[in-house]
Amino acid sequence: MVNYGGDEVSALVVDIAIVSSYYGYTANASDGDVQMGEAEPKDDATSDTPKPKNDAKLYLGQHGPSIWRKGMEIGNPVRDGLISDYNPVPALMSHALVDVMRTNPSEHPILVTEPAWNTPADRERMAEIMFEEFQVPAFYIANTGVLNAFAAGKGSALVIDVGHSMASITPVVDGFVLRKGLVYSALPKLVHAHARHILVGSTQTRRGIDLYPHQLIANKSPVEPSAPPRFTLREDRMAGTTESWKTWYENREVDEWVQSVAGVLDQGWNEQAAAARQPRQYEFPTGYNTYFGPERYQVGEQFFYHSPQLIASNPNLPKNVPALLSESLRACDPDLRQVLMGNVVLTGGGSLFSGFADRLETELSRNFPHVKIHAPGNPIERRYGGWLGGSILASLGTFHQLWISKEEWQEHGKAIVGQRCK
Amino acid sequence: MAISASDIRSALSLPGPSAPSAPQSTLRKAQSQSTSNKPANNFTKKPEGISRELYALIGPSAPSLAAHLAKPRLKQKPNLGGGGKVKWEWRPFKNGARGDSLRLSHWAKEASDSDAEYPFVKYNIQSTPFTYSQDEYTRFLEDRDWTKEETDYLFNIVKEYDSRWYIAHDRYDYPEGPVRTLEDLKDRYYSVCRKLIRSRPWAGDESSKAQFLSSYMFDKEREVTRKGYIASLETRSQAEIAEEEALFIELKRLEQNERRFKKERDELLRTLLGVDSGLPDVIGEEDGPAGLVGEPSSASVKKKKGVKGTIGIGDEVPTTPSVISLGPPVPRRPQSAKSAAQDAIHCIYRSDPPASSTTVQKNTHVPAHLRSFKIPLPKTAIAPKVTQALTELGVQHARLVMPTRENCLQMEALLDAATALVETKKVVDRVEQETRVLRVRLGVRSSEGAEGNEPDDVEKEGDEGTPMEVEEGKEEDGRAQSVVSTRSGRGRKQSRRSISVSSIDTSASLSTRAGMKRQKRS
Repeated sequence: MVNYGGDEVSALVVDIAIVSSYYGYTANASDGDVQMGEAEPKDDATSDTPKPKNDAKLYLGQHGPSIWRKGMEIGNPVRDGLISDYNPVPALMSHALVDVMRTNPSEHPILVTEPAWNTPADRERMAEIMFEEFQVPAFYIANTGVLNAFAAGKGSALVIDVGHSMASITPVVDGFVLRKGLVYSALPKLVHAHARHILVGSTQTRRGIDLYPHQLIANKSPVEPSAPPRFTLREDRMAGTTESWKTWYENREVDEWVQSVAGVLDQGWNEQAAAARQPRQYEFPTGYNTYFGPERYQVGEQFFYHSPQLIASNPNLPKNVPALLSESLRACDPDLRQVLMGNVVLTGGGSLFSGFADRLETELSRNFPHVKIHAPGNPIERRYGGWLGGSILASLGTFHQLWISKEEWQEHGKAIVGQRCK
Repeated sequence: MAISASDIRSALSLPGPSAPSAPQSTLRKAQSQSTSNKPANNFTKKPEGISRELYALIGPSAPSLAAHLAKPRLKQKPNLGGGGKVKWEWRPFKNGARGDSLRLSHWAKEASDSDAEYPFVKYNIQSTPFTYSQDEYTRFLEDRDWTKEETDYLFNIVKEYDSRWYIAHDRYDYPEGPVRTLEDLKDRYYSVCRKLIRSRPWAGDESSKAQFLSSYMFDKEREVTRKGYIASLETRSQAEIAEEEALFIELKRLEQNERRFKKERDELLRTLLGVDSGLPDVIGEEDGPAGLVGEPSSASVKKKKGVKGTIGIGDEVPTTPSVISLGPPVPRRPQSAKSAAQDAIHCIYRSDPPASSTTVQKNTHVPAHLRSFKIPLPKTAIAPKVTQALTELGVQHARLVMPTRENCLQMEALLDAATALVETKKVVDRVEQETRVLRVRLGVRSSEGAEGNEPDDVEKEGDEGTPMEVEEGKEEDGRAQSVVSTRSGRGRKQSRRSISVSSIDTSASLSTRAGMKRQKRS
């Protein structure tokens, strides 16, 4: 057991993310192997009515927000990677741990992930929820950047994490985040907005596209590509549909379009190269379908390059990836830069954007001589890197001295969180 | 093939009909020692591992070795420690590295000791940082830039992050303190440590203290300069990097050209002058631009000056140009004490150009050469005679197996002696011829008296020859040879007029050979 340094204590790892939260159950491993029990994706943040009402009924999980309900509002406790609203968090945790995983939280130590820019107050609040509401025996809160580096098997790494709403670059050295080198921006939001703009806005060749979800469409009939769609809406549902639910669903439609059609050119923007690529067909829930040519590559270009007009029109433009990189490296010691560039870890669901890894490699090797990018080919590893690293960390024999026990929590109070989880 | 009853019996290990059914104890005994022939009971059981037919042929007198032959079996299955079931249980454990009473649980073998220490505790190693008292601080550690509070803060943070400086610097945030660079922090920390080590009593000896102290050395200036260099390397623009690359390639190309020119020049020299060009036959791979630039120019200078000289270099055979050009050959000039000392260290012997035996005496530069190339040869006019004389003496001089310096000297001495011998022989022959002519002129008058005198003359000449040879050859053997040959010549002067020195007395030749052997050994 000592050989590989692991000692399984059946800890639970909870990775709270904006789109979905993943929680795992590192099952018992009697003779070495860390078996992954369940790692079930689950939409996390949905409460059906505005927050003030405490008696609101919550719909959580796979069948929570995605099903149309009369007057259902969509909420999300996570904003820009941070938990901004703690009210639904206990319900979400309970759903994940008790309803889905059928575990008793008071029997398992729990490791929760946090973004690198989490505030001390937030992590203390999380510890409070865990200890006071779930009565966990031990708790630890770990940084996603560090965990992503661990998932890649590295102690020192430059973690490029492109998520749903935030893109961040975290220098990790010896398992510690260099806070001065940490940079992040809401770049994915910009990409999303750009994609939405392309779809909704009308061009010379086509009208703006309606983004009605399936749930609101009564029937539709097949049409030729680029022909106007023929569909009828469910008028009975239209009245009870809240604005937040509609927005949430439209965003989902845009995301799906981005995931299946949009891409980025691997050698930088080039009109001819984009035109030379095969156009791709996509059908929307309304039945409208068309071919998308060069415009689908404009979407990904937003990650790496902002046109001067865009910069001029929008002063608060989120920084693109090369700008984030240079800013992060500038804050690091010159000695470290070489080490970090040799250990770039690309992670996060947003990094699965088609062609992203290749383009990043081109951008980096243009400016740095010895770049090595670790980008797992497996999308699950890419999306759940934080959870994976947390699972590794929580099964290490040497880690078990770092858990904050309930006893310590009662003795030292909130201060222990900051002391222990450096 | 007929199967007899006895065959069946033996196949089934039944006792034969003749033998009475043996009691059980005897049977077992017979089985255990089947090879030992028991006359009392001639029934013996076939030993294990030997076929029945073979046993029937050779009988109980089978070699005892056969008894040890085991029946061939399949390869034994590895025992992977399976078999017995291992019970595991979910068991709480005590982690010694924790300060509280948290009992996490893990799977452990039921058989294992539940009170055993947690195996991962041994990895929990704390470093022992330096601490100082208020008194020590006021006495040694005062610094204008640092307050005691900030120093305390620094030491705490270094301890907290186990001297991971990058992280300590990252987390360093002293309220209302000046901005500190990583070098500032390191400098302060290490200087405090050094002062503490110096001021405190040291248990060990001085050298260990100095060693310990040196592990806390930190040169801030140097670090800052180094980081500056790294930063300047990184801030090179794309164009600058490209230019550097281009310059580097250009340099490499120039070097290559230079090398090619030199090679062609050498080739030409070798074709025109042969060995005298002073270039080694085998071209070693030029390995550095230094040798490339330095060597040819110095060689050409030498050539222009036309310095005459030879360098003999000790036991090593020179192959690379740099080794050859190491000793400038200026033979006539007395060597300075320094170069003499250097020669002694490097086993370099400088020899004057061989005056006597070299065939060619050019007024030009005598380049470096292998010693074996310049083995002295006899004068061409008398070379066949000398060779013949030496062959008759049984001396192999054509090939010098080991041309060391000593051996070359010996060889030279030998050839000198042989030459002298041949010369002397010539003189003797001439004198004899003259004598004969005179005798003819004198007629037949007083012929007896003249004949009686002549041997003495020859003897005298031979004796005269001897000291001369000693001068030249400085060798006892040389004299012996010459004396012997002279005598033999005298002995046969009447019979033949040849210059051959064929008939030598055996004892003399033996001694000569022994002498040569001794020479070679030395």
